Amino acid sequence: MSFLSPMAIAIAAAATIPPLVALYFLKLKRDVRLVPSTLLWKRAVEDLHVNSPFQRLRRSLLLLLQLLVLIAAAIALGKPMLQTTESHLDTVIILIDQSASMNVVEADGRSRLERAKEQAKRCVDNLGDDARAMVIAFCDRATVVSSFDTDRAALKRKIDSVEPTDSSSTLGEAMSLAEAYTQNIIIGGDEAGADKPPDSTAPPASVFLFTDGRVQDSEHVALQKFALDKISVTNVARRSDNVGIIAMDARRDYERPEILEVAATVENFGPEPVTVDAVLYIDGQNVDVQTVRLEAAFEKVEDDSARPPRPAENRMGIIAFDDIEFGGSGVVEVVLRIDDALSTDDRAWTVIEEPKSVRLLLVTAGNMFLESILSSLEIEMVLMTPAEYERAPDDALQDGQHSTFDVVMMDRHSTERLPRGNYMFWGGVPLIEGVAAGRVIEDEVIFNWDETHPLLRHVAVETLQVYEWLKLDLPPEAVSIVDGETSSVIALLARDASQYLISAFSLIVDDEEAGGPMVNTYWPTTVDFVVFVQNSVQYLAGNAAAVGRRSIRPGDPVILPIPKRTRQVKIHRPDGVTESLSAAGYETLHYARTRRVGTYRAEPGLRGRDVFAVNLFNTVESRIEPAEALTLGAQSVEARAGTIEVNNPAWRYLLLAALVFLLVEWVIYNRRVFV
Amino acid sequence: MIMAAKRDSQLLDPEFMAKLDQLSLVSRKIFASKLRGERLSKRRGDSAEFADYRNYVVGDDLRYLDWNIYARLERLFIKLFQQEEDLHVSLLVDVSKSMDWGDPNKGLYTRRIAAAIAYIGLVNFDRVSVYAYSNGLQYELVGVRGRRLMFKVIEFLNKVEYGGPSNLAAAGKQFAIRHPQQGIVLLLSDFFEKDGYEEGLRYLLARKYDVYTVQVLSPEEIDPPLVGDLRLMDVEDDDTAEVTVSRALLNRYKRNLEAYCGGLREYCTRRGINYFFTSSEVPFDQVVLSYFRNRGLLK
Repeated sequence: MSFLSPMAIAIAAAATIPPLVALYFLKLKRDVRLVPSTLLWKRAVEDLHVNSPFQRLRRSLLLLLQLLVLIAAAIALGKPMLQTTESHLDTVIILIDQSASMNVVEADGRSRLERAKEQAKRCVDNLGDDARAMVIAFCDRATVVSSFDTDRAALKRKIDSVEPTDSSSTLGEAMSLAEAYTQNIIIGGDEAGADKPPDSTAPPASVFLFTDGRVQDSEHVALQKFALDKISVTNVARRSDNVGIIAMDARRDYERPEILEVAATVENFGPEPVTVDAVLYIDGQNVDVQTVRLEAAFEKVEDDSARPPRPAENRMGIIAFDDIEFGGSGVVEVVLRIDDALSTDDRAWTVIEEPKSVRLLLVTAGNMFLESILSSLEIEMVLMTPAEYERAPDDALQDGQHSTFDVVMMDRHSTERLPRGNYMFWGGVPLIEGVAAGRVIEDEVIFNWDETHPLLRHVAVETLQVYEWLKLDLPPEAVSIVDGETSSVIALLARDASQYLISAFSLIVDDEEAGGPMVNTYWPTTVDFVVFVQNSVQYLAGNAAAVGRRSIRPGDPVILPIPKRTRQVKIHRPDGVTESLSAAGYETLHYARTRRVGTYRAEPGLRGRDVFAVNLFNTVESRIEPAEALTLGAQSVEARAGTIEVNNPAWRYLLLAALVFLLVEWVIYNRRVFV
Repeated sequence: MIMAAKRDSQLLDPEFMAKLDQLSLVSRKIFASKLRGERLSKRRGDSAEFADYRNYVVGDDLRYLDWNIYARLERLFIKLFQQEEDLHVSLLVDVSKSMDWGDPNKGLYTRRIAAAIAYIGLVNFDRVSVYAYSNGLQYELVGVRGRRLMFKVIEFLNKVEYGGPSNLAAAGKQFAIRHPQQGIVLLLSDFFEKDGYEEGLRYLLARKYDVYTVQVLSPEEIDPPLVGDLRLMDVEDDDTAEVTVSRALLNRYKRNLEAYCGGLREYCTRRGINYFFTSSEVPFDQVVLSYFRNRGLLK
């Protein structure tokens, strides 16, 4: 217990207790009564003293009670506070996790986010009178919900406004933001309106982190400004039972495009084995049901050894829906019929388009590999040499501003003639702004690639060895898919409704020493190359004609092509909200408010590209078990489970005690009167 | 506050005195006295009541020769008669300050008893002495005899002033020295003696008096009507006792009072002293007419 105003106790005690004692002795100036003899009285008093050792105390019991009343009242005036670990903080930063795992509904029926907000509001209640606080909500990005404020009601309103998302949680940005804000506290100048410059000796801020401990990057959080002992982590998580879909894929049968195959990977994150039904819906129609049994997330540890439990092998299962006859386009949805803690990952969506034949233009001076592989695909292929391509009339290549081909593949040919469409370059680059091919790189290895990218689906890049490739200069928005040591080897660039898939290497190089074309890589001799070409053509030719269109993660931006001369686009979100966006003059729309999982639909949109799906597919968020400690940087901060203790004003109880003491005194006094 | 009784209160009313006319004092002992009285003595004397014969010796009073015997036996015998003696009745009345207390007043109560006993004694030609003592004997009225002197006793008892501490030891000693004649001693007091009542009673026992003790307490002493934080002041010696009167203290007081009175009674009984306890609330005529008669002091 501590006191907000300890001086008040001293003043009150000094002002009241000595007079009380004095009054008590004045009050005990006993009435004098004459008696015939004090003989027996003295004996009786002595007897009582002998028999009752507390007689002396009893004599001054009233004084004692009144002193207790005064002391209690004096302490109450000192504004005593119980559990005041949070008081007297000058600067408080409240971080609230709003990631997907915070949507877990705990046993009391409230979500983790609601619990975190309640705890945060308690934290605000605990603020000292002169303390200021700021509120930052974080998921995959950090948002300043409230900058520094001393108005508790306003702070609590801001905390209430934090909304759940389905994004992943990253703490680094939030911490950086908080550190930046604490460095720039303007304490206020000596004169009115004069601000002090950022003060490096500003009081150290206390950080209150309300999370369930499921933070992806917590180990990479670098603390510069905050002392670790000033960081308090409150864990609002309790439940750990969850089953979630961590991946989902829909694919048309290669030979029979009207037949659809849907596969979903399901993982059990809970402590108990589960049997779960997965239901397949296409455009809301129930199509199929499969049942899968999943073991508990971790193997049971028999002995009490400190060894951490090993993940169970059969905690994951793949649900496959085969031979689904579906020739049209629509939304494919897999739903797990289970009542678990987190419902966000119980559903997954993908968008499938109706099968169509792809028109492909191969511009090459002669490439055996490409010609043979592309001709084996079920596509309509047109062959041109680079010279023919450059000479070809506009009508042959484009319809309006758009290319007449679904995919144009350039083999060792860089060109400026690029009507809007989908292009793939082998050993060349589109001559557009920001893209350039530099020197030839040799003797480097390929060491990194994005294996989750649909272009690399079922492709083992480990087998890819290339003798030389061009050093690519790419604009920042380009996405590197395969990396060399110093530059990107395969990259994807989307610009102005066109897509460019650029491979820095060609399959064949002209070797002057050998006097003819040489093989640059043996990749074309592997199955992986065939799959990669197939993926590339399908990806570029409409993204999802044959494959379920790649879904995006919550929070990721999406580029939507929109019809010409569209002034306004409405986006129908899965939470029922329809957003109206101005699109005058644009041909594509960048949309980033994808915080919730589900299907989003643009209206009006290009047919087949107007719907996209947002899925969680995040094992970090799906693993909802409470973390006992949060590792920040290199150190571990113990996560305090339970609730923030609130500064409860204790004076009520003390005044209540004072009343009780007075009552007891009154009773005793009256008993004595009526003996 | 308990008021002292009015000084001129009537000690005895004529109706009650008429009742007392029928009574006389009884001593369990037969005492020798200088004056001949109305009581038979162990000594042979010259009353009309025959006691015995004895042989004549020269010098005997010839008037007591039994001539009839001489005529029959020709021997000289002297007739011996019972000697009648008067009875000394001494009343020791406590007039210390503490006796002027209570409602009804203890002092008036004891003076009334003293007056009644004195009256009975005077009616029966007993020699009545009244002593008032506090710290030693203060007032005395010695050797009054005969009914007509009753006014002297009343006057004496109305005259006494209450004051000073009670000192039975001093009073007993003085009384024993001044009053060698054996007889009935009636001691009227509250017996609240700070130095103890034993020494005083021993002086009386040493003279072989037929001692009667009457302990008179007021209702306020038996059941004190006190409450609160009080400074109790002894009326006799200004001694104070600070008490916080509680139920426990009152119970303790009552137990102590009981024990004190019980101790006095036991002390008296063991030594052949007749002990009466009475509250000043009990009508004093009842004490005299029935209580004393039952206990054998009066017949």
